[in-house]
Amino acid sequence: MIKVDQLTKSFGKIKAVNGISFNINKGEIYGLLGPNGAGKSTTINMLSSLFKPDSGTIHLNNTDLFSETNSCKKIIGIVPQEISLYDELSAEENLFFFGKIYGIPTKKLKNKIHDLLEFIGLSGRKKDAIKTYSGGMKRRINIAAALLHEPKILFLDEPTVGVDPQSRNRIFEIVERLKSEGLTIIYTTHYMEEVERLCDRIAIIDEGKIVGQGTLEELKKMIGEKEIVELDFATSDKEKIEELKTILPFEAEITNNKLAIKCDKNKDLKEVLNLVSKLNLSIADIDFVAPNLERVFLHLTGKELRD
Amino acid sequence: MLFTLFKKDMTLFLKDKKAVLLTFILPILLITLFAFAFGGTGKKKSNPRTYTVLVTDLDQSDSSKETIKQLENLKGLTLINKNLQKGKDLVKKGERLALLVFEKGFSEGIKKTHFFKTTLYFDASREIETRMIYSFLMQHLSQNQGKEILKNRVNSFVSNTFSGMPPKMKQNIINTISSENNASPIQIEMQSVMKEKSTKENIGLIQAVVGTAIMMLLFSIANIGGSLLDEKENGTLKRLLYAPFKTTEILFGKMLTALSISIAQLVVMFIFSWLAFGLNIFKDVPALLLMILCTAFAVAGFGIFLVSFVKTRQQLNGFSSLIILTMSAIGGSMIPLFIMPEFMQKMAVVSLNYWGIQGFYDIFWRELSIIEIAPRMLVLLGIGLVMTLISIPLFKKNIISL
Repeated sequence: MIKVDQLTKSFGKIKAVNGISFNINKGEIYGLLGPNGAGKSTTINMLSSLFKPDSGTIHLNNTDLFSETNSCKKIIGIVPQEISLYDELSAEENLFFFGKIYGIPTKKLKNKIHDLLEFIGLSGRKKDAIKTYSGGMKRRINIAAALLHEPKILFLDEPTVGVDPQSRNRIFEIVERLKSEGLTIIYTTHYMEEVERLCDRIAIIDEGKIVGQGTLEELKKMIGEKEIVELDFATSDKEKIEELKTILPFEAEITNNKLAIKCDKNKDLKEVLNLVSKLNLSIADIDFVAPNLERVFLHLTGKELRD
Repeated sequence: MLFTLFKKDMTLFLKDKKAVLLTFILPILLITLFAFAFGGTGKKKSNPRTYTVLVTDLDQSDSSKETIKQLENLKGLTLINKNLQKGKDLVKKGERLALLVFEKGFSEGIKKTHFFKTTLYFDASREIETRMIYSFLMQHLSQNQGKEILKNRVNSFVSNTFSGMPPKMKQNIINTISSENNASPIQIEMQSVMKEKSTKENIGLIQAVVGTAIMMLLFSIANIGGSLLDEKENGTLKRLLYAPFKTTEILFGKMLTALSISIAQLVVMFIFSWLAFGLNIFKDVPALLLMILCTAFAVAGFGIFLVSFVKTRQQLNGFSSLIILTMSAIGGSMIPLFIMPEFMQKMAVVSLNYWGIQGFYDIFWRELSIIEIAPRMLVLLGIGLVMTLISIPLFKKNIISL
């Protein structure tokens, strides 16, 4: 459904997107996970034809996006990161306007607006001006505005930014229902739990590059099946922590004052603790972490997602 | 603490180069314009104003030619020869201030009837200027031809009444009387080129209505254009760009809004002027409607040009104030053109306000036909078209590049 090949985009000297490629099948939710500034929104802007890439190609439903832009635009719906609605207009008026710019006949559009407002649970507030809505409600209308023309592909660019947990759950339900209706979705976020819950496949993007992609299980396999033993030291003696990492017979990574060691906690922990005491390091806390996306991200980029 | 806050604010202010520009350049520009408009240029003694007057010599006598030659040599007066009809038309259309006509029999009049047969046709909308020219002409003609006429008149009177008077005594009497300027025989008949009823219209009201209407229209259209920048800032423009239509349609959509609101605003302002002040807006309704349409088109084009030229609301506010106030000052919205020096009046043609104001003058004051007003309408349409064409690449460069 979506084929992206060697896409690059620079702004001056900054390479925002650096040769990314991926394929997305029909009905799939594909997550783009990365920190702010990783290149997710630039990718979405290229996929929605707002930015022309410096190089590379995009095919949507087997059609080249930049040679047949208008026909591609008709099959895509975009939910931008910002609340792109007219504050002074009501939800109904906003949806009517955004439907009309896609040329939807009035009667069909009115029915569609009615259905969508029911679907997102806001039919009771349809006459109220958007400025009176909560952040979460605005987000839901923001999504509805992208669905009016019944797109085959939906881009959701950080759709849960700044919303409360309850509204976030409502948005997850909406996305899951859209998937069940067969929509192909690209979902960008910097929240691990969102991609873990919603996405069939995930691409981890950092500094404009996809550093890893696959299903959640495939990504976890990248760091092995073993649990992580995470040691938090009472000392900030980095040299000693570094020394410990060198002498450990296991794969380990240092972040801040912590050492994450990939080992079997039942079998190997004793050996680890012996080496710690040999170096006179005192442990403030010890944690056992199952392989997760955060670990994968750390493994692939060398930094935590919130850095 | 106080100094720290002051320093921070000054640093922020100085970093905003456009704010600095507007704080200092806009007032300087306006002071300069008003100073020129009112003819003051500091301590230096200002040069006398130069008037350009059309002249028609129907007499074609040595006397008339000699008088015209003398007038041509006067500092502060430029004469342009035109035939009578063409000259009257130019004055009627407001393109020239006045036409001085040396009537047939001018030469005979000086010799026999001792009457200085001249007419000064003038644009009644510029009466103050015309009076100044009249005084100027009277002053110079009295000093030259006036004495000659008086001499002839006294000579004729003395010769007829006291036929036996010795020549020396007669000459003394003539010289004494003709040296007194308080009984100048010079008479220049003043005649407005407008229809009689027009001169009863309140010229001040027309100036106030059309001058203000166009200036305020420019401000409101700049504001409507600005909503495009608001859309850019709040993200709705992005959503419009996702839709399957050409980006220029967004610009033209905004222009259509600006055009409709401009038309509505002008119509409302004229109706209000009719109801509240009795401005007769029904003199030529088709011409008025066409003029409203052309002015609205020019203003709408100007509005989208402004909005395409800048990148943010703040920039728009600054530039629109600068450009609109400047155009209004030189175009006659703030100060009537006739009190400005001639070079300022010539400069006024670069302002949209000028063409709009003069067009409405043509309808309400000069009572010209649609055909006669058409050139001004075409200029306004041209302004709108050029502004729109320039706006398209600017819009793509400054607004669409998200």
